[in-house]
Amino acid sequence: MACMNEDGQWIVLMGLLAALALFFLALIINQSALVGQTTAEGVLEFPKSDIRDLRTAIFDYVDKFGNTVDPDSQAVREDITRISLERKNAVVGFTVGTPQDVSGRPLRPVTIHYYNGVTEYDETVYY
Amino acid sequence: MVNDSGQLYTMEGVAAGVIMLLTVYIVISTTSIYTPGDTHIPDMQLEQLGSDVLAMMDTPNAKDSTGSDLETFVDADDSTGFESMFLGYCNMTAGATDDLHMSANVTYRDANLNVIKEHPFVEPDDSWTGRESAVRVTRWVQLDLQSSPPRSPYGSRAQAVLVEVLLWRA
Repeated sequence: MACMNEDGQWIVLMGLLAALALFFLALIINQSALVGQTTAEGVLEFPKSDIRDLRTAIFDYVDKFGNTVDPDSQAVREDITRISLERKNAVVGFTVGTPQDVSGRPLRPVTIHYYNGVTEYDETVYY
Repeated sequence: MVNDSGQLYTMEGVAAGVIMLLTVYIVISTTSIYTPGDTHIPDMQLEQLGSDVLAMMDTPNAKDSTGSDLETFVDADDSTGFESMFLGYCNMTAGATDDLHMSANVTYRDANLNVIKEHPFVEPDDSWTGRESAVRVTRWVQLDLQSSPPRSPYGSRAQAVLVEVLLWRA
């Protein structure tokens, strides 16, 4: 270090800090790309619209048939379970009970079961 | 004659060069490249758009109307009406229209043979190449009992059928 002078050390130090800051910014950019991908994969994987669609179908069924058990209603019930298994790879089952008094209104307890091997969904709803 | 003064400055310069190259390498290698395989985000948006359009079509127009537009189209097997309404809603944007295309199937159960059958409802148009990044959206439709004439091809009984739409951007 014989001939080196010690001027400008602050500038060198600030240069080092700027380099470190750039490094961390690059890390953040890297992570942001990963976060977008995993979020979108998670959303696509989760059968949100399948479950909502199934609930609507079952409520339509309850509107039409209630809790009566006859060949017509059994056929529609079998449509829903068989087509779910065939086209959505989902085990689906539902039951409709007799109307009960819920806060002064007669509502039927409906249980819904959905399982596609990844996501399991069970619900009891008074409809 | 070469003299040997300033060697430390030269070494410092070389070291600084190496550090700069290393920084550039690290910065470039940490950002990932968006390849055609990474289409999850557009797929997610397209799937949401498609299910929203189906949900909209499955909503009755008035409180006392008998069924939704979707139900009417499936019941009458009106594929052109279904296609134009679906694409009309899908391609509706604030500015220029979007360029979405679709095909649709209806899955139903033949109660006599007790088998699941598929009815091609809307055929894909000429832009279909087979390499599209298409998403599938579905909607259950409940058809009422229809005595005569028997509804083609689903049959006359009250039943639940599954409308499946493949949607892609050309």
